[in-house]
Order: sequence, then C-alpha cells, then structure tokens
Amino acid sequence: MSYNFEELTYNEAKDLLRQWRENNERRSEDVMELWTTVFSDDLTKLGNEKHLVLEQVIYAALDCHAYGVATLCIYMLSNEFPGSMRVMRYKAALLEAEEKYEEALEVLDSIIKADETNAAARKRRVAILKAQGLITEAIKELVDYLKKFMSDVEAWQELCSLYLQVQEYSRAAFCAEELILHQPHNHLMHQRLADIRYTMGGVENMELAKTYYCQALKLNPENMRALLGLFLTTNNLLNHYKSSGNSGKRKEVWKLCQWAQSGAARRQRAARAPPTPDLTHMMLALAITD
Amino acid sequence: MGSSVHKIIVIVGFISLFHSAFSAAQHRSYLRITSQEFTTLPLDIVVQAVASLFAVMWGVLNVAGNLREIPAAAELNTVKWENQRNLPSFYIFNHRGRALADNYMPSGGKCELENVE
Repeated sequence: MSYNFEELTYNEAKDLLRQWRENNERRSEDVMELWTTVFSDDLTKLGNEKHLVLEQVIYAALDCHAYGVATLCIYMLSNEFPGSMRVMRYKAALLEAEEKYEEALEVLDSIIKADETNAAARKRRVAILKAQGLITEAIKELVDYLKKFMSDVEAWQELCSLYLQVQEYSRAAFCAEELILHQPHNHLMHQRLADIRYTMGGVENMELAKTYYCQALKLNPENMRALLGLFLTTNNLLNHYKSSGNSGKRKEVWKLCQWAQSGAARRQRAARAPPTPDLTHMMLALAITD
Repeated sequence: MGSSVHKIIVIVGFISLFHSAFSAAQHRSYLRITSQEFTTLPLDIVVQAVASLFAVMWGVLNVAGNLREIPAAAELNTVKWENQRNLPSFYIFNHRGRALADNYMPSGGKCELENVE
C-alpha cells in the first residue's frame, strides 16, 4: 500500500505513525518520508507523542543511512532529558550504525554498570554481536540474558531465529515451545514450531509438525502457510506409511491430506474468481462486432 | 423466509404470555369477588404461560440469527508474521537498506576487491 504523503493532514500522518508503532511495523523509508514532508518543521503540535515519534524517527533514520536526521533527533531528546539512559541507548545505536562497535559497546556497558536491570541495553549488546556477524557469541550472550530475564518473549523469539541461522534446529524448537507457552493463542507461534519440526525431518518430527499445523489452523483457519505446511507434512507421512504398511494411520493421514488439499484449492479458486468475469467483459468490449 | 415464521411465533408467544398474565389477574379478582381462598392457579393458565414462554425463547433464538463460534484469539489472527518477527530491541543497521541512500559510500571489502583489479 502506498500513500500520497503530501496530501495527508497533520493528524492523519500522526495516526499513521502511531498505527505503525503499535503494529510493530518497521517501514523505515515511509517514516522518513513522513518526517521530511510533515513533521520536521513543527514538532509542537505532536503533543505528548512527540518523544515517541522522535524515537521512531531515530531508528528509521538509522535504517535509511540518514545519520544527520538521527543525530538531530537524539540531540533534541538529550536536550530535554539530559543524562537519560534511554537516550544514551539511542546514542549507542547511532555509533553501532556507523560501525563503531567498540564505542557502542562501551556506552552500553556504562549503562549496564549504572543500572543492572536495564534489559534493553543488554539486548542491544546482543544486537551488536549479531551485526558483526558473531552469531555464536550473540547466542551465548542472549542465553546469559535469558537466564536473568526468563519471561522476555522478544528475546526467546530472537534466540529462536539465531539458532535457526546456525541450524541448531532442536534448540530452536525448544525456544519455539517456550514461545508457545508464553502466547498459547498465537497461531504464528504454532506455525513456527511446525515449520521447524518439518525442517528437521523424520517421522516423529513430521507427526509433531502435523499436530502443530493443525493447531495453528484451528486457531486461525485463514492461515495459508499452515494449510500448505499441513499438506506437505501429510504427503511426507503418507509416503512413509505406505512403505511401512501402517494402514490405520495411513488412512487418517490420507484424510487430512485430502482436507488440506481441498482447502488450499478452495482458497486459490476464491482468490482467482473476481478478475475472470471482468476479463471476459473486457474481451467482449474489445471485440469488433456490429 | 424462515425468520418471518419465527417472528410470527415470537409475536404470538408474547400475546399468549400477556394473555395468560391477564387471565391470572382475572382469576384472582374472580376469587376475591366470590370470596374464596386462593390456593393455586388453574392448570390451563400455568400450561399456557410456560408453553408461550418456551415459544418466545425458541422464536427469539431463531430470529437473532446463527450463533457463531467464540474464537480464542480473534485479535491475534490479524497479526502477520512480518510484524511478529520484527523486534525493535534487536534491530541491526548494517543491512543492504543503507545502500539505497544517495550519500552512502561503500567501504571495506568490496571496494578493495575492485581496486585490486
């Protein structure tokens, strides 16, 4: 979806930024666009959202290599909150973006020394290791962090993806299970664990993947990835049971496979349906007839 | 079409319910006039009241439309994986996005490789 940023009123732009912030969307380029067209002239009208918007813009600017804008925003924030740990963290992020990793680490270490419980600074340390490509070190650091802050969902999710990067699937699966414990109603978590189990392979993992895909579909019947995943796992299991001759399980899996296939086909038909009449209509309009 | 039948059932049920209430009141006033002791309502009024109550309940249930399942987490189902996996506290900035900026000068490995040739 693209917006015509110049036609947006101030309040619409503000709402848009808030929406992106709350939905956890990165959209750095769009944020920068909004900043330059709408907000950079007059910040007073933002009211009590001003600092949140500034923080959002700092990360967006770092993403877009606009270090000037980021420096300006950090300067504005540090003018208002001198000596704030939170602003210090953004300074560290700027250093990190400029690839001055040692200095960024020094800043973060000084934050942690001043405030032992500063979880965000510890997480940034992991991010710096990740940015340098030291994935195993980042994992070590993050595991240490999780020993102290066990209920941090974000950190578990990050650890899961880091383990996937180094192909430690069984550990990644453990992290995904932890995530399911934290958010049992989130279909994406079930889908994720099923994806990991499917990647690991083997009959037992396939069975688990099948179960988790089913749970994801139960929570959200619209989840297309889970539907296709279910089709693939059941296909795989079907091949296995065909050779091992377990007829009861084979029949069950066969049913599930059929169901997944027909569901996927129905979705595909539904997605395709609307343009067809339009096309025939247009072809008829094109035809030269008397 | 089906709902209009049910609407009629609801209306008739309500009328019948009010009628049974009215006959109960009538019965009490009749007893008072003939100065008899009140023990119970006559059976036909009780039966009419209970039957019309059930008719109204059944009619309302059908008029209101189909019942829907209660989803465990409807608001979580709108979350996309792109947003779920986006973790602000673990952002890294040395990605290819910065190469799109017009003031970006590539440094390090790639440049040196080009200089060698």
